[in-house]
Amino acid sequence: MIIDVTVNGEPKRLQARSGDRLVDVLRKDLTLSSLFSDCLSGRCGRCFIFLDGRLVHSCLIPAFKAKGSAIVTFEGLRESPEVREIISALEKAQAMPCSFCKTGKIMAITELLGRKPLPGEEEILEQLDMVSCPCTDPVSLVAAVGIAAELRNKRKFNRADK
Amino acid sequence: MRKESTDTLPLLSTLHFPGMLYASTIRSSVARATSVHLSHDPLPAGYLCIAPADVAAEGCSLLLSEGISLFAHADVSYKGEPIGLVVGPDAAICDELAQSATAVYEEEDPSLEWESFSSSQIAYRYEIDYGEVELAFAKSAKIEKAIYRNGIFDHHYSEPMGAIANWEYDKIAIYCATQWPTHVRQAVAAAMHIAESDVVVKPTNLGKSLDGRLWFPSIVACQAAMAAKICGKPVKILYTREEDFLYTPKQARSAVTIRSASDEQGKLQALDVNLIINIGAYNPMAQELVRQAVAAITGIYFCPAMRLEAYAIKSNIIPLGAMGSIGATHAFFSIEAHMNHLAKILGKAPAEIKMLNMMSKGSSNFGAPALGYEIPFSKIHRQLEKMSDYRRKYASYELVKKRDPGCREGVVRGIALTLGYQNGRSYSDLPMMNAYAVETTLDRNLNLVINTQASIGSDSLKAMWKASAEAALSISGEKIHFAPPNTDTAQPCGPLTLSRGASIINRLIERTCRAIQKKRFRESLPIVVKTQTKAISPPKDPSGQDRGIPVFDAASWCGSAVEIEIDRISGEPKPLAVWMVVDAGKIVSKELALSSLRSSIISALSLCTGADFDPEKGGRDQYLHDRGMRLTDVPDIGIEFIDSDKTTLAHGLGELPFITIPAAFYSALTQALGAEPRQLPLHGSEILRLLEAP
Repeated sequence: MIIDVTVNGEPKRLQARSGDRLVDVLRKDLTLSSLFSDCLSGRCGRCFIFLDGRLVHSCLIPAFKAKGSAIVTFEGLRESPEVREIISALEKAQAMPCSFCKTGKIMAITELLGRKPLPGEEEILEQLDMVSCPCTDPVSLVAAVGIAAELRNKRKFNRADK
Repeated sequence: MRKESTDTLPLLSTLHFPGMLYASTIRSSVARATSVHLSHDPLPAGYLCIAPADVAAEGCSLLLSEGISLFAHADVSYKGEPIGLVVGPDAAICDELAQSATAVYEEEDPSLEWESFSSSQIAYRYEIDYGEVELAFAKSAKIEKAIYRNGIFDHHYSEPMGAIANWEYDKIAIYCATQWPTHVRQAVAAAMHIAESDVVVKPTNLGKSLDGRLWFPSIVACQAAMAAKICGKPVKILYTREEDFLYTPKQARSAVTIRSASDEQGKLQALDVNLIINIGAYNPMAQELVRQAVAAITGIYFCPAMRLEAYAIKSNIIPLGAMGSIGATHAFFSIEAHMNHLAKILGKAPAEIKMLNMMSKGSSNFGAPALGYEIPFSKIHRQLEKMSDYRRKYASYELVKKRDPGCREGVVRGIALTLGYQNGRSYSDLPMMNAYAVETTLDRNLNLVINTQASIGSDSLKAMWKASAEAALSISGEKIHFAPPNTDTAQPCGPLTLSRGASIINRLIERTCRAIQKKRFRESLPIVVKTQTKAISPPKDPSGQDRGIPVFDAASWCGSAVEIEIDRISGEPKPLAVWMVVDAGKIVSKELALSSLRSSIISALSLCTGADFDPEKGGRDQYLHDRGMRLTDVPDIGIEFIDSDKTTLAHGLGELPFITIPAAFYSALTQALGAEPRQLPLHGSEILRLLEAP
């Protein structure tokens, strides 16, 4: 079947079989290398996408369900100031995740900070728990999200670095 | 600042070569058979089924070594063992075709029993008989015997197992995430009957491996290489996460029986130990597993007489092997649990009994070289007690338990501390296990290039090594680079286990940098210095018997305290706090060391609270229920380093949590329960049963 979607702002036509998962179709048709078809059970978070603005596991979405939707993947956000701030914060806190879960964690942090400009520790851990990978210690991750939140708020409210 | 490394290749999932084919594994549906005949429906155009006969017809070997099949053909040794491949241009179609393939077997009853075993199941045996054991038992005031068991765990590593094989001009190139590139090269050369120089292994991003990628990547690499030879195209095998969970090696399970003789104060007079490690269908590192476990169980407490029999036992389940500390986790948990048992019998505090028996300067077990220095356990112990408020908490939890034995009203809590060590070497006789080499070059632009296969290691390790080079040569970190770790150009290395090889590599880097420093202003650039370790094996007496394992080579010392609370409704044990005091020599980067320890502590806690895998059951249910510790359940973690300024040598520390945390967690659990379950992990229903028992 043919599925018309918008991916990272561009209209795309995807070719899928009835049982195909959205993650597999996006990887195969559009070679989006930030997405991994890994646990296929919504636990690892390595297939996170924004589907019509909501953060979802694309491994749990049948491809046909995405018809007419707007999809944003890590590739579409990579150059945004929000994601650049998150990457810079992860580096500063020495909390850069491994290559396998990095994009999943960045997508999860992007969603959290979009919804909650100053998240608490519990909220940060709840959010990052959606990306199960033991590569990074939670203390450093919480510190990184705090730095990212600060960078974002400074930019938003036009506050210069002291 | 820690940035993502550019020295290694990206993840295997993201690598693609023109014309590349995908291969899916056809697996045995029975656990034991004496012959297997593969059959399948006609395949679509462009797809090919590779059976063992096709591999043999190409002149390749079907065995990696004795008992280890690349494809089962004459003997199936576990359910899920590879019996063939489906190769084609679409990975999803290959998966479907592999699942629909069938086979006819000459099935036999699988041997699943391992605690009582037959001689044909013994893969490796190690024995110690030292001192007057029977006499000591006959004379001793207290004789105690107990058996301790631990389960099977998944490594939860980053990327599932896989490999790409690609003929590149005159060599076969293997791309895979491995902790031991040299082993992959040797295995592929042996399987293909080609020279090792005709194989180049290009390691891909390893991520967190927790010793799950020591030797199994070699098997997948051989399969990919054979498929590439038969198809004449690059071939990629990449397991699905579920396939990886169900069919790749996990931490081995064990049963340790300890009989001890002690005097009335609790001083050990004799130990009689029977250690059985179930390695599943096979494990080429069985010797290392057993020897590391023996070193752990016999290394920490002084005992004048000891009899020990240790076995690696095969059974018809998936291969089982190392996790974190190779075999030390099982052994430490058992000996610590036994010391707690002794303390309980004698009515003393566990810490008191442990300190009474601790090895000290000049003491030696079963003829191993005497300890030439004082182990810093007393200092670690004092610091740990202070940090964790151990004495007060221990006493108050004991009091609560006495007042409310069924824990019906009060809080069900326990606290325990454990001392342990991580040694810095391997005990295996396997070739290349102990061979580490580094070549360092200071070039004309004053760039320092460190060439070693160990650069497959984590960014934290590389940051530590960089810092050592930076300090030795006073050059900026930006000028220090690691050469790509491929086997054609990088200096060969033994397995880069969790952190065991790390301290050896650090010393070699320091040694090469010091040599460069001496030559730096006398010789013209570039200056190249190479150094390597000597192969070492356990010392032997004149009759050829092992003289005991020198357990404290380049050791790091630590103590861990764990405080837990049992949920009175679900029975699940929840860690409340963890404290660690570490003496690992010089700490090159405190932030990175803290971060590495914190993440290893979480993985080690997962061993205590997670689901243990039952390979006899298999199945998707276990896969769906398996996950590491939730970040929201991670307890407060306090870590302190001691004496890091008293030495210039840095030792590995990443395995310390795997060695001490399960033992401390179990000990805390026994205090909370007032019972000795003698197994790990332990879950809600069993805990509630123990709590409610009279």
